[in-house]
Amino acid sequence: MRRMLSVVVALAVTLALAAPVGAQPDTTAKIKETGVLTIGTRTGSPPFAYINKDNQWVGFSIDLVEQLVKPAVEKEVGRTIKIEKKESTPPTRIPLLSSNAVDLIAGTMTDTPQRREVVDFSLTFFYTGAQFLVKKGSPIKGVNDIAGKRIASQQGSTNAKIIREKYPQAQLREFPDQPAAFQALIQGQVDAYTNDGIQLAGLKAKSPNPGDWEVVGDFYSEEPYGMAMRKGDVKFKAAVDAGLRNGFESGKYFEIYDKWFGAKGELPYPMTPTVKAYLLKHSGK
Amino acid sequence: MLDLGVIVANFKFLVVQGLFGLGGFAGGTLRLAIPAIVLGFVLGIFIGLARLARSRFVSLPATLYVEFFRGVPLVMVIFWIWFIIPQLLRLPIPEYGVALTAFVIFEAAYFGEIIRAGIQSVPRGQVEAATAVGLTSAQTMRFVVLPQAIRNMVPALVTQMIVLFKDTSLASIIGYVDLTKAAQIVNNREIKPFELYLFIAVVYFVFTYSMSLFARRFERRLAS
Amino acid sequence: MSYQFKWSVLWSGQSGGWLLQGVATTLAISGLAWILAVGLGILAGAARTVPWRPLRLAGTFYVEFFRNVPLLVWMFFWYFGVPPLLPRGVQDWLFNHSAEFWAGMFALGVYHGARMSEVIRSGINSIPRTQFEASVAMGLTTFQAYRLIIVPIALRLIVPPATNESLNLLKNSSVALTISVAELTFQTRQVETYTAKAIEALTAGTLIYLVLCVSIAWIMARVERRFAIPGLIARGG
Repeated sequence: MRRMLSVVVALAVTLALAAPVGAQPDTTAKIKETGVLTIGTRTGSPPFAYINKDNQWVGFSIDLVEQLVKPAVEKEVGRTIKIEKKESTPPTRIPLLSSNAVDLIAGTMTDTPQRREVVDFSLTFFYTGAQFLVKKGSPIKGVNDIAGKRIASQQGSTNAKIIREKYPQAQLREFPDQPAAFQALIQGQVDAYTNDGIQLAGLKAKSPNPGDWEVVGDFYSEEPYGMAMRKGDVKFKAAVDAGLRNGFESGKYFEIYDKWFGAKGELPYPMTPTVKAYLLKHSGK
Repeated sequence: MLDLGVIVANFKFLVVQGLFGLGGFAGGTLRLAIPAIVLGFVLGIFIGLARLARSRFVSLPATLYVEFFRGVPLVMVIFWIWFIIPQLLRLPIPEYGVALTAFVIFEAAYFGEIIRAGIQSVPRGQVEAATAVGLTSAQTMRFVVLPQAIRNMVPALVTQMIVLFKDTSLASIIGYVDLTKAAQIVNNREIKPFELYLFIAVVYFVFTYSMSLFARRFERRLAS
Repeated sequence: MSYQFKWSVLWSGQSGGWLLQGVATTLAISGLAWILAVGLGILAGAARTVPWRPLRLAGTFYVEFFRNVPLLVWMFFWYFGVPPLLPRGVQDWLFNHSAEFWAGMFALGVYHGARMSEVIRSGINSIPRTQFEASVAMGLTTFQAYRLIIVPIALRLIVPPATNESLNLLKNSSVALTISVAELTFQTRQVETYTAKAIEALTAGTLIYLVLCVSIAWIMARVERRFAIPGLIARGG
């Protein structure tokens, strides 16, 4: 047993020494070489990124990458590129970025000051806030009713952190992914599922019986969505931001928004003037 | 009560994508399980033989390898290879590579143990007799020890292969669209957990049970 | 991307507490599942050697079906598939008392019970038939022969393989993270998501598992030596 442990310690030390030092990340150089931009996105977060009835991977965030970010990155690296998609969830997305498995997180990730210490964020591309999804007629009407109730959340999400820290009276259950949490709600394992309002509305709309569910409560947090990338990757961030900014300026962004959230879109969710002003202000216009 | 419509409607996705790995996603249970079994077995032979080597410089690392991987959960090994190794090598590894590497490295420790036990089950006297009639140690291994050892270890080997086959379901954790992940994806939108998980349970069972029937028959043939 | 090591994340803030809670949960779920697995394993293993066909068939069905389907599938099955079939009152009680823990415990126990019974069956089979015949000849009933002769001997024979299987159970409890059981691997990920220090978190988790497994193996080796039947088991060095 002692021999065993000494080897493990030796192994840890070797790993520590072997860790690479220095060198700023340069994703654009990598993309130029490989012709592939790998994004990490969701499989069960309609309408941002999900697998539809035809088993195709689609969504608002994916369209933003395909139609806005891709051309800008192509311009930067001077060649046509391909988008490759991988699944990333709240607990896995930062490790996937730092392990180089993906280059860009484009899903439903909230831009927070704490996360900014480890990753960089693009311009905000969506603005929402946390609410609750409950069975119709539930006594839970907002964040003040959750004491003693079983609340589902996603491990590693901003909402889970807020509930854990500010509402310790709630019984928090953390699931590795959104579908598992929603499933638990459907079965009555939990009393409510908390996530960003827009995602809850998306889940409700895509569920087999949308009428059974309602999204309740005022936003108890602010959740501006950004695309995340490795920290200090200046050229790549500039390209991603340029793509989004062009989208806001040319109106292309609003066309894509309309496709998913417009009156005839997948999930009607008209943009309020405040949100529009917020997005434009943050895009530097 | 069972709603088999959900299986019928998604049969192609579950089987073609989930089981065979042909489709829009990186995935496939068989595409992962078969190479993992073959490569894990091959690496296991080396590890098993290394553990029996006379030189401590060979046997000690092999022993530590086996003890280490038998002391940690496969899920942990998968996370190491998924998050840490690419960071150290500064090289992205696709999901398929992550899953295959994790299974081969992990299962080789178990295969190695079976092979070591199999070789040790051959009575010592046989080796001495072979040496006495003038066989070299390589010849003794090749003609005397291995043929008997392999017969002794087939049941355990097949059992381990079944374990590996089932373990491939853990690749779903890293977003590899195998049978389990395919069922999860369909369930996420259809919410029919009972039907879907029962269906894939039966698919897994068909494969693993045929493997164990084979092992039983082999055992019986040896016994007679 | 350069990686800055910061091992202090493991003991600063909540990380240490989380890891400890994780160890406690891992031990609790594995311990309970182990009791269930051994109970089921003995029942099924014995059932399959009994001279009465229906019981043998039931034992065989249980063992073959449960050990041939991946544990992960069983986790989903027990957690998502089974509760809706239970009476409302039971469901409510479960959901208020960590349903994920009980479902995970069941999945783990029932799955490993099937595997454990294989270990037990080969233990029983390795006892010479004559022992059974001798006990019956001495006037014991079949049940008594099993309870007093066969099972006690078999139990000793199976300690080494059963130890391996128990360690597998402990390691497999990590799969319960997929149904939100806050066991050790889950807490390792928790530390990782809160600190963004993957290497440190995973190293800590890996080390804890190693220590747990090595200590159990050591204790069981003691037990094995203590209960060995002289002359019956040839012990290797």
